[in-house]
Amino acid sequence: MSTKRIFLVGLILLPVAAGTLLFAPGRRAADRNAAAGRAQAVADAHARHLPPTKGSGLYQYSPPGGRRFDPSRVYDPAPPPPGRAPNGIREYTLVIEEDVPHEVAPGVAVPAWTFNRTVPGPVLRATEGETLRITLVNKGTLPHTIHFHGIHPATMDGVFELVPPGGQFIYEFVARPFGIMPYHCHSMPTSQHIHNGLYGMVIIDPKEGRKPMRELAFVMSAFDLDRDGEADFYAWNGRAFQYADNPIELVRGEPVRLYVMNIFEEAMVPHLHGTLYRLYPSGTSLTPSEYTDVKTLNIAERAMLEFQYDFPGDYMFQCHVTEHMEQGLMGWFRVKDKADVARHAAH
Amino acid sequence: MTDAKLPAKTPRALVLASALLPVLLLAGILYLLFARGTGLYLEAPAPIEKLEFERVVLEPGLIRVHVINTGPETLTLAQAQVGWISRASWEFEVAPSATIPRLGRAVVRIPYPWTPGEPYEIVLITANNLIFSHEIEMAAETPAPDRRMLGAFALLGVYVGVIPVFLGILWLPFLRSLPREWYFFFLSLTAGLLVFLGVDALEDALENAERVPGPFQGVAVILIGLSISLLGLYAITGWLKRRRQAKESSTALLLAYSIAFGIGVHNLGEGLAIGGAYALGEFATSFLLIVGFMVHNLTEGVAVVAPIVRSAFRWQNLIWLGLLAGGPTIAGTLLGAFAYTALWAVLFLAVGAGAVFQVVIEITRYQVRQAGAGSLVSGWSLAGFALGLAVMYVTGLFVTV
Repeated sequence: MSTKRIFLVGLILLPVAAGTLLFAPGRRAADRNAAAGRAQAVADAHARHLPPTKGSGLYQYSPPGGRRFDPSRVYDPAPPPPGRAPNGIREYTLVIEEDVPHEVAPGVAVPAWTFNRTVPGPVLRATEGETLRITLVNKGTLPHTIHFHGIHPATMDGVFELVPPGGQFIYEFVARPFGIMPYHCHSMPTSQHIHNGLYGMVIIDPKEGRKPMRELAFVMSAFDLDRDGEADFYAWNGRAFQYADNPIELVRGEPVRLYVMNIFEEAMVPHLHGTLYRLYPSGTSLTPSEYTDVKTLNIAERAMLEFQYDFPGDYMFQCHVTEHMEQGLMGWFRVKDKADVARHAAH
Repeated sequence: MTDAKLPAKTPRALVLASALLPVLLLAGILYLLFARGTGLYLEAPAPIEKLEFERVVLEPGLIRVHVINTGPETLTLAQAQVGWISRASWEFEVAPSATIPRLGRAVVRIPYPWTPGEPYEIVLITANNLIFSHEIEMAAETPAPDRRMLGAFALLGVYVGVIPVFLGILWLPFLRSLPREWYFFFLSLTAGLLVFLGVDALEDALENAERVPGPFQGVAVILIGLSISLLGLYAITGWLKRRRQAKESSTALLLAYSIAFGIGVHNLGEGLAIGGAYALGEFATSFLLIVGFMVHNLTEGVAVVAPIVRSAFRWQNLIWLGLLAGGPTIAGTLLGAFAYTALWAVLFLAVGAGAVFQVVIEITRYQVRQAGAGSLVSGWSLAGFALGLAVMYVTGLFVTV
């Protein structure tokens, strides 16, 4: 019996001893190697996600197969030019449709409710004192309205007088004061009508005009795909990352005026890299209130920013709420020397 | 209806036709439904899609997600996000294709620089705007099947499976020295241990069944595994007994082997669950837990040798019994760590449970044959059975995480 017992004990101890001998000594070195490999891999991954060097096309998301937003779908960041209508009447027609497929991120289309089939709706523009005459055509299945911010009679406020499906209504009022005024549908539940895409920006220029410069208009908004109260994508002008796919070209030293508005139910912080901007809150003043690179825009708040770039290169513009940035509120300015731009145009 | 009322001799063609008629009619109706539609006009108000996460592998700078489309239709993955405190859209690649057919699988590679110890959420968004997510409670590098990790998991199997069984077997000389009444005490103790083990395995199986993708019906797999092992083992041992013409000592040895087999399959399932839990980042191989498993599984060795305490056998049998009962744990931890799928864990746990229950039946019958039905309710047997349960319960306290 004792020989059997010795054999059995040996049988048990052998694998333990073998395991200890085989795997224990190499362990520390292996751990060190693994840690070094991990650090290198993290560095590599970081390198891949830095804003793109020229032409690399890399940024923090990339749909399968490298699919990007088609440039033809990019929302034109240039607002209509300032000026005066010959008869003093600015006329616009806004057509509301429901469930228009709107690609908020490449491959992800939401059924949006739209003014003129875009989210945000078109930028409207007038000079202070001109008459704004806006025809709303409701091609949807629900009653809608347009509510404008600004100074106007109660009957032009677009809250109580619903425009039924198939109906239309003409909003007419004198454009004032100058500044950036949101417009949006005010049908109840307004939360749904705005969230689904029925919003846009009105720019009202001061009578004396502003110094002519390159102009851009950005509406900041977000999209909650699963209606859980947390947005899944945030966007400059309705499409997450669209100006990262298609950088906006600027000329070095050229002054730029940016009209920006937040229409989502969270504070947003437009932030420019590589420069600072002169801030005109709500665009209702002729003189800037601040020289900064971050301004918290609360809900429905807007601002006019003026800036220029002193150096060429790619600069990110983002919402400084990092969550918003990482879910779509980032894009690039591609700043070029004037000579480069001219050469490019000649080709 | 009785046979007598049927015509004495039905033509074979008619019999065949009557067997095929319902099938043919069903085929015809299905054809009409496909061609003409159901007429129900019950379109789902929203697209129904279902995506399940089968395995998440963390490598330095990379999150690899294995998904399966368990919804009724093909789906397309359009965007990926990784949540830390908030979610971030991230680049990703899908192989073989972002368009995944029903029950198709895909691997999503997200080159995200995760850091150890942090919690993350993996979010996949389909082209129909549906959002599927998986939480990583605490990020840790997934063991790669290299020499070191293979060795570590094999060793884990040795610790929790092989060593305890052989240690239990070492009680054999002591058991042999006890008077005859103790023999039935230990047989009943074994039955108690095994009942506990079987219920434990079933519970593990049910737990793992929740992770099995819906269409594969985890609970049904338990039923199938349980039935197969119960009935299969019953048939096999019956056949072996008839062949050997029931010599008393060989019956005892056969019973020992049955127990070893049952425990072995159970240990395979247990190993799969341990390795799989580790792979999913839900299990820390703490010293206390390993000690707990060793104490818990020590009793398995006693169970294996209990029937042969009073019979003669060649000593090599002890080694084979120990290996049969404990060895599968090694295979289990290895498979679980590097190729875990809940489906296999469920199947093996259920087969193990079935085997263990079958062995309990065998032990009971054996005991009745040896000492009469009355022995089952003798004080010795009752005490043994109760102690078996108690031992498992107490040692189980160490392995409950």
